[in-house]
Amino acid sequence: MSIAALNSANLNAGQKVAVKYFTVAMVLFFAQCLFGMLAGLQYLQPDFLYNVLDFNVNRMVHINAMVVWMLFGFIGSVYWLVEDESGTELVGAKLANVNFWILTLAVTVVVLVYLFVQTGPGTKETIWFINEGREYIEAPRWADFGIVACVLIFFYNVAATFMKGKWSGISGVLVLDLVALAGLYLAGMFYTTNISMDQHWWWWVIHLWVEATWEVLVGCIMAWGLMKTLGARRKIVTTWLYIEVALMFGSGILGLGHHYFWIGTPEYWFTIGGFFSALEPIPLVAMVVHAVYDSGTHNFRNSNHPALAWLIAHAFGNFFGAGVWGFMHTLPQINLYTHGTQWTASHGHLAFFGAYATIIIAMIYIAVQKWRGDVWMSGDLADKGWKWKWSLGLLNVGVVGMTVALLISGYEQSFVERALEGSTWGGYFSAQTQPWFIQGMHWRMLFGWVTTAGVVLLLWDLATIGKKETRRAIDPTVTPATT
Amino acid sequence: MIDPVAISNILAAAVAGALVIMFGAIYALLFAFSRLKQRPVLMIWAYLAYAVLVVAVGVLSITLNMRGFWQAVAVVMVVGYFVAPRLIWNLCAGTHSTEPGDGLGTVRHS
Repeated sequence: MSIAALNSANLNAGQKVAVKYFTVAMVLFFAQCLFGMLAGLQYLQPDFLYNVLDFNVNRMVHINAMVVWMLFGFIGSVYWLVEDESGTELVGAKLANVNFWILTLAVTVVVLVYLFVQTGPGTKETIWFINEGREYIEAPRWADFGIVACVLIFFYNVAATFMKGKWSGISGVLVLDLVALAGLYLAGMFYTTNISMDQHWWWWVIHLWVEATWEVLVGCIMAWGLMKTLGARRKIVTTWLYIEVALMFGSGILGLGHHYFWIGTPEYWFTIGGFFSALEPIPLVAMVVHAVYDSGTHNFRNSNHPALAWLIAHAFGNFFGAGVWGFMHTLPQINLYTHGTQWTASHGHLAFFGAYATIIIAMIYIAVQKWRGDVWMSGDLADKGWKWKWSLGLLNVGVVGMTVALLISGYEQSFVERALEGSTWGGYFSAQTQPWFIQGMHWRMLFGWVTTAGVVLLLWDLATIGKKETRRAIDPTVTPATT
Repeated sequence: MIDPVAISNILAAAVAGALVIMFGAIYALLFAFSRLKQRPVLMIWAYLAYAVLVVAVGVLSITLNMRGFWQAVAVVMVVGYFVAPRLIWNLCAGTHSTEPGDGLGTVRHS
């Protein structure tokens, strides 16, 4: 096995596919930041790129790029671990490659259509070919079918590989979760003229992906990642995965109700949504206790410092973004005023970054290490690891800064637009001109630059870390000799 | 039906909601460290954190006009956050019970 140079001979077939997914994921991460910055600038300068690249287009590309890069990251992560976990070769490596190129081509076409063909009235034809009009999943219907087909091929590849090799607790949970992941997307493809019904099914995709299936998928990746970086025992991580799945699904599925408060659904959703939303943070508190217990028994001896740092960022980010920022405004008595304001955007930024971006970045660091021939990535790196440390710092400070800035704007918006002026058209514009709202938007822009700088540094580090290294990675499962 | 938060209470309700989760985690953290390091003094701090949580739930209940069913939600929060760290600790101890020695550099998975 060669060391230090990026060499695909160091990878198995699944991992060769995975690094392609990771590469596109990082390109889309950069695109997400770029279009987020443009949309942020348009809050400050509404004329900026008016009729050239309008706010609705920038925001749509910003959000869709995030969803797609995370999907690419998840698919890449699963391909990365599938052969290792099943103990056999990927059954359809060629199919996986073809699937990757089709999906990437489809995403490229969809983005180009987003950028260049977003004019004219919405018709049944535009739903099929231009834009389906559903936030987060705006892709036209032809692309929807393509996405479902690609996910099914991916599912086949993963499930068949485990069937050919060996099953484990992680693989069992993973495969069942992929069924739910692919199946739920179908709920977002209905067409109905009833907006309440449309929103009802749309939330099945958004909520049940983000607060159920994605969380479980991340749990599987985390379990595997802890075994690889910390040498945690399989029995322990598997047991915890089962507990986490039970807690996540137990509270997360009916937590869906907190999205049904104001869309024309029956009032009993207040009760269901409120109750289960109160339960949703419990798995996160459980993780705190478990993390303390494990830190006491493992002493954090690990083979990949950047990956472990990002896994820790994941634990904190998930807790604050999903837990604290979520529960702050999830009960209907206050959500009446906060939903759909910058307060929601504040929660969204920290939760998506904390829960998902962090763990995908950790997986990519694990991938780079193997791609360079199991190169040393613990302490005392050649450049003192300044790039990964600074990118970690800039990204976290940037996102937390944006979160706080958006919270200030969101609070002001909830207060003025919703509570004082009763969600009127005039109230909307009144809120947009309040000093606190505008100052929040300026601060968000500043921290957006910090975040973007972090992304650039991250990409640079991923391309170069371990390049000049000559040492092999440590084995975290081997106890060092003590004096 | 719900009775929305009063305008003057929006900030208090949001802060109280955040404090419930924050102090739920601080209580869990101190509880776990107290048992891990066998330092009873940390358990006192843990219960103080829990007391803040109870106050936060109280403020949340008042500001969000919780009545009837919603009071049951508040009780579930108070009981749930108290019990959850204990249950999780017992689960941790159970799942790690076969770990050799002090757990440093644990046995490689199969």
